[in-house]
Amino acid sequence: MSMQAAMPIAMIPGNSIIHRINPLAKLVWVVGYVILAFSTQNIVILYSMALFALLLAPIAGVTKPLLKGALILVPVGSSLLALQIIAPAVERPWTAVDQIGPLVLYGDGVYYGFVLLGRIVASLLMALIMVMTTHPSDLFTSFAKLKVPYTLNFMLAMTLQLIPVFQREVGIIMSAQKSRGMKGTGFSAVLPSFVPVFVGAIERVQQLSISLESRGFGSDGIKTSYRQVRGRASDWVVGIVGAVVLITLSVVAITKGTWSLANEITFSPLFVLITFLIAATLFAGVILAAIAFSFKK
Amino acid sequence: MVESTPTNPTLAIDVRGARYVYPTGNVVALGGVDLQVAHGEIIGIIGQNGSGKTTLTKLFNGLLKPTAGTVIVNGVDTAKHSVQQMAAHVGYVFQNPNHQLFARTVRMELEFGPRNIGVPEDEITERVDEVVEFFGLQEFIEEHPYRVSFPVRKLVGIASIVAMRPPIIIFDEPSTGQDHNTTHIINGLMRRLRERGTTVVCVSHDMPLLADVVERVIVMKSTEVIADASPREVFADQALMARTNLQAPQVTQIALQTVVPLGGPVALTPAELAADIAQRRGKSARRGRTSSVAG
Ligand SMILES: Nc1ncnc2c1ncn2[C@@H]1O[C@H](COP(=O)(O)OP(=O)(O)OP(=O)(O)O)[C@@H](O)[C@H]1O
Ligand SMILES: [Mg+2]
Repeated sequence: MSMQAAMPIAMIPGNSIIHRINPLAKLVWVVGYVILAFSTQNIVILYSMALFALLLAPIAGVTKPLLKGALILVPVGSSLLALQIIAPAVERPWTAVDQIGPLVLYGDGVYYGFVLLGRIVASLLMALIMVMTTHPSDLFTSFAKLKVPYTLNFMLAMTLQLIPVFQREVGIIMSAQKSRGMKGTGFSAVLPSFVPVFVGAIERVQQLSISLESRGFGSDGIKTSYRQVRGRASDWVVGIVGAVVLITLSVVAITKGTWSLANEITFSPLFVLITFLIAATLFAGVILAAIAFSFKK
Repeated sequence: MVESTPTNPTLAIDVRGARYVYPTGNVVALGGVDLQVAHGEIIGIIGQNGSGKTTLTKLFNGLLKPTAGTVIVNGVDTAKHSVQQMAAHVGYVFQNPNHQLFARTVRMELEFGPRNIGVPEDEITERVDEVVEFFGLQEFIEEHPYRVSFPVRKLVGIASIVAMRPPIIIFDEPSTGQDHNTTHIINGLMRRLRERGTTVVCVSHDMPLLADVVERVIVMKSTEVIADASPREVFADQALMARTNLQAPQVTQIALQTVVPLGGPVALTPAELAADIAQRRGKSARRGRTSSVAG
């Protein structure tokens, strides 16, 4: 982790249609996505959702940062699929489809593996799109309109704003300790890197609260906001369409008992083998890269 | 270009054509810097906020690798070595001690660096005792580093690097925000390091400190080194000071407006100016006496 590592998740300034949608309408979509993703096991729905989110990226002009943020899915997805193939999370008996040395590959877990992956991919992509196209204060201004208590709203906003601050602190602290010859990884690096971060965090929060109170935080009255958020007709349409479509699908999925296509879709042994090889290679690659990286540091 | 020049092993720091561009936002922070520092030199780096001082010093211990050019420190190419490997050659004292203190006691904090670079245990004890004595940390040695006052924390931070005994030490703003006593100790430390032959690089806005302890001042302005001379020359150059928005120490400014036009020295410390004034008063008093005797 270099000190200059770009903030992985932050707003990408822009003026696209997606940027201009009211934050609450976007939030409806994200929440709707999560609800639907976790109420269905229908991979057609799940991957359509992911595809739809992916199609929004070029419209919002955030394709590159989105893909960068989604890189986290590589270790998650590859380990998940590889595990589901060698140790399915379904009841035995499992049907073996192939064997590589001592490893027996089963086809039973593949469908479920793709469901889990689809849920994560769809929810994550939509959430990233929202975060990357929404100014945090706009979101909180909108919350205020919904009569979310000011203190709660403020605390949420502060927490979000402190994340990049802490990311920077971690970078500086790691540099300081490496300058004293600390090995960059492993258990011995935990204390030297985290104690200063936490102590710094606590001190910062204490000072912040004192300085806030001394500037009248906590007094009654209506708070005004510098950034104004409007709710236009189009925002209502986006929000309502999102709510209706996603909730309808969720309800249908639940009434159909997750709407799983596990019995309709069967994977050929070759497909299982190839999936396993790709997943295992990617996962091994990630691990090797991590090891190589820690040695290089 | 400069690459063809052979590197000089007798130099502590040898920077040739170093550029640095921060990957975030493509900020050019250093635009082609050349700098040679001999072993045992005590240099100061001054310049406005954002002129590239910190970036330059981070190249010295490999925290940043030059985007172009080379940085050879103590004969080692920083581009080819990790920060941890450089730690035995270069000590870097960060501005904020809170960024490095973590151990349960001050003693353990001081032992951390030497142990990392493989100093044998009995020598670690000896080195720790030495810095504790020098920085006057005896009463805090078993305290938690976060329970001591900020100036003491700063001293612990500095001591933890000095205990590693690197041949080159970099200080980023050692005296900013410190009380007089701490500044005094830091001042004494610079002298001690000079006696030992340690090379010192000190980034600071504290002109009186630099005027007092360094032998050479590097002036930076918008990513480049624009002057490199003795503190006397640099602080006497009023055009340079104005152009870089820097202020010479007050005592130097007073000297420039009073005794310098009369042939006096560009004083760097109050003692120097006082000595010159005392000498002039002595002279005029003597002249007064002789004239009255004659009259
Ligand atoms: N992590 C970073 N990412 C991007 N740009 C940076 C980063 N750190 C510094 N910069 C930029 O590089 C330039 C040089 O910064 P640097 O910190 O080296 O200046 P400095 O002379 O040490 O200033 P100061 O006196 O404020 O400490 C500035 O324009 C600064 O904004
Ligand atoms: Mg700086």
